[in-house]
Amino acid sequence: MSIEPFGESALLVRLGERVDPLLSARIQSLAAEVNRARESGDGRLGVAVAGYASLLVPFDPTIGDVSGVAAWLRNAIASNSAEAAVEDWPLIEIPVRYGGADGPDLDDVARRLGLTSHKVVEVHGSVTYRVYMLGFSPGFGYLGELPAALELPRRDTPRARVPAGSVAIAGRQTAVYPLPSPGGWHLIGRTDERLWDVSREPPARLSPGQTVRFVSA
Amino acid sequence: MLEVVDGGLVTTVQGAGRPAMVTFGVPIGGACDRWSLALANALLGNNPTAPALEMALLGPTLRVRADCAVGLAGADLSGRLDDGTELRPGSARLLRAGQVLTFSSATPGSGVRAYLALAGGVDVPDVLGSPSTCLIGGFGGLEGRPLAAGDTISPRDPGGRRVGSWDGAAMPAAGPLRVVRGPHASELPDQALAGLLEGFFVVGRGDRQGIRLEGPSIKPGSLSLVSQPMRAGAVQLPPDGRPIALLVDHQTVGGYPVPAVVIGADLPRLGQLGAGDGVRFREVGLGQARVALLGLEQELSLLGSRVAIA
Repeated sequence: MSIEPFGESALLVRLGERVDPLLSARIQSLAAEVNRARESGDGRLGVAVAGYASLLVPFDPTIGDVSGVAAWLRNAIASNSAEAAVEDWPLIEIPVRYGGADGPDLDDVARRLGLTSHKVVEVHGSVTYRVYMLGFSPGFGYLGELPAALELPRRDTPRARVPAGSVAIAGRQTAVYPLPSPGGWHLIGRTDERLWDVSREPPARLSPGQTVRFVSA
Repeated sequence: MLEVVDGGLVTTVQGAGRPAMVTFGVPIGGACDRWSLALANALLGNNPTAPALEMALLGPTLRVRADCAVGLAGADLSGRLDDGTELRPGSARLLRAGQVLTFSSATPGSGVRAYLALAGGVDVPDVLGSPSTCLIGGFGGLEGRPLAAGDTISPRDPGGRRVGSWDGAAMPAAGPLRVVRGPHASELPDQALAGLLEGFFVVGRGDRQGIRLEGPSIKPGSLSLVSQPMRAGAVQLPPDGRPIALLVDHQTVGGYPVPAVVIGADLPRLGQLGAGDGVRFREVGLGQARVALLGLEQELSLLGSRVAIA
């Protein structure tokens, strides 16, 4: 575990350098504790931002300093158990139209993996994924872990524009592009589910710590 | 009220950011140079973070539809009215209906972003807690996009006629970028931070997400990270050894190590760097960085009282 300053007004907590559901749960739990403390009046603390196994904790340098906030965090980590604080999120099911124009890379992915397209779809839908973090673009959730049978590096040449709702895989991760954006992942399908909607509260369909399954539409 | 005749290269509405939305993958955003934003606003008696037009590199052409007070600060984009009158950064003026205000390109080495404030701020709705344009998300500002011909831009206070005068600098002073040790400095080879501090860099490609720094190659060694949260000011080291300094629209998570972080007080200066500009870094301690940031906050809060408003 390390707690290092990230500039003069934030600290970065790292619990490890691997993608691990337990580390992620501990990070979510710590994030929830930071947010609870802020909401109950600790004006130093900003909104915490999660990575796979890390948490950025911004603070207001006019009323807090690095050593005070770091001490608070060390104490919070010591007294925190992941089981106690992780909220009980409902499982989210995302219906996907696999292949064809909706998933232009599905056949190529299958060929490179030595599988049938049908098998790729079956394996992609066979596991429950965890939302590790949001990033890349608004509402983009990094879901893991994709079964090793589907592991491929990113495309050599990213697409300039990936349509919103595209369901994609890369490495041991899968994701849904919430908005049209450039993208280097393999597109295997598409969903009509809206992953990002500024008129909704919260605007993102996914939150870190939630669990997700993909079902063939 | 202003009608956009030509939107310029990338002119967006920018004010305060969205720190509470980062957890959803939304960049904090807002003005790249909040010092210049605050000055443009102070020239009209506005709140320091009222939304203004951020004009990058090549400014827009605007036709005045109704009399309208404007305040200008930041880089010099050669603002000029159709009667030949110059509109200088660090000044304000009451524009008259029928006039045309044209900006052209930034003078190399003297900043890349100018801010044009309107009375009370540019009238756009708050989206997710801020009026600022989020380009990657396609929301905020004017429909989440840069200005385009045919748009109209209105002030929140259409009756606002007061314009101030200012005899100080129109943008943040140039100088080395002060950095503190980054969160991964102690895990990187010693040469990484030293290389940044000793090197002279030239800004390559850049946008609101970040700027590439060309110069001595600084290898990150074998340090392998899983993606983690990022901050504006982070100097990232990708495997190719060409550092990237992150600006306000950076992706909220990233996997490159960060040997150094530009201090908060120097982010306005960082936000004014453009292709071809030279960059040097200077290390300071966290205490100095904090004092400098508190100084900047105080300066911004006092700008309004230093502007003489007629």
